[in-house]
Amino acid sequence: MKFTDETLMAYADGELDAALRIDIEAEMAKDPEVARVVERHRTLAARLRWAYDGVLEEPVPARLASLVETRAPVAALPARRPTSSGSMRPAAWYALAASIAVAVLLGLMLARGPAGPYEETRDGLVARGLLERGLDTQLASAPASGAVHVGTSFRRRDGAYCRTFTFDQQDAGLACRGAENWRIEALAIAAVPDGEVRTAASMPAEVLRAVDAAIEGEPLDAAAEIAARDAGWRNSRNVAE
Amino acid sequence: MSTTSPAEEIRAALGELLPRLRRFARVITRNVPDADDLVQVAVEKALARAAQWRPGTRLDNWMFGIMKNAWIDEIRARRRRERVHAPEEAGFAVGDASAAARDIALSVQAAMERLPEEQRMAVALVLVEGFSYRDAAEALNIPVGTLTSRLARGREALATELGDDGGSP
Repeated sequence: MKFTDETLMAYADGELDAALRIDIEAEMAKDPEVARVVERHRTLAARLRWAYDGVLEEPVPARLASLVETRAPVAALPARRPTSSGSMRPAAWYALAASIAVAVLLGLMLARGPAGPYEETRDGLVARGLLERGLDTQLASAPASGAVHVGTSFRRRDGAYCRTFTFDQQDAGLACRGAENWRIEALAIAAVPDGEVRTAASMPAEVLRAVDAAIEGEPLDAAAEIAARDAGWRNSRNVAE
Repeated sequence: MSTTSPAEEIRAALGELLPRLRRFARVITRNVPDADDLVQVAVEKALARAAQWRPGTRLDNWMFGIMKNAWIDEIRARRRRERVHAPEEAGFAVGDASAAARDIALSVQAAMERLPEEQRMAVALVLVEGFSYRDAAEALNIPVGTLTSRLARGREALATELGDDGGSP
């Protein structure tokens, strides 16, 4: 067989990059034995998940639930995004948490040197190089190619354009367009190391929270995104609501 | 300023994680009372060390790492007390599955229980929790290569025991 069992296992687990995936799929089409090995790995994984999934449905014992009881209704991460000004408090907290996350990751990111995708400026952390170009030009609908992949674009409450991104398949973040720069509002380690196309839903929780805290209305559709890009992502709105 | 503290924030996030923590604990401890004790210990540790959690990293990863260490400590303590724990019964009830489905779930759990600790943890994180290899290795604090070899060995043992290809050789 052309591939080791361990490689086929990694394929079944969704761990391989696109090039290797294509090779394996071609081999699976030719050699039923290869297809059978992959199928066996998948079946086993599904049986294991299923055997333990029942635990998720069980009520959590009170003694455990009481350990993590919170005073404020912040407890649940917002399933719906906050709509009234009354729910600004958690949103403000998420923004704060996001900026702490940025601060902590900063050291790591700056270790990549001056040519890296981030630069610390007076405005905070901003996108540079490939990342900046990707945010300027790439559409969310574009297929993932190169280092930058843009997830969702939306407008913030003050009218600024914001975009979620992954860089190098390692970092996931949220950038919002200021007068001159894409300011990094949240940054986290991307959850999936392989080349799979990410959706907003597979962004790390820290980034999603930053999106929830910032977003006004719905994400931009494809046409609105193109229009915003062609207008240079300028915030045409002067007054925040 | 908001009165929400980082500890409070972690508390809230942990509340959401509890079902998954209980599932992971069930896989590694192999019985219900030990599993819930382990979750309790791990949650208490996490709250006590809330300041050590690096915001921007995954809380589930961090928690599973704490649980793993707490469980290893517990096993060592039990061995010291010469009271190596053998689960009274293999497996545990699964939701409200039918009797046949329940039998299958129990046989999967029984096969998992016979895996060595380290293989069981690798299988639990990747196959049950759906972690990437990198995240699972990080939670267990081992290199990715070690994780994949444990995962492969664990899987092979499970497949042999469960006859996962439907009985063909």
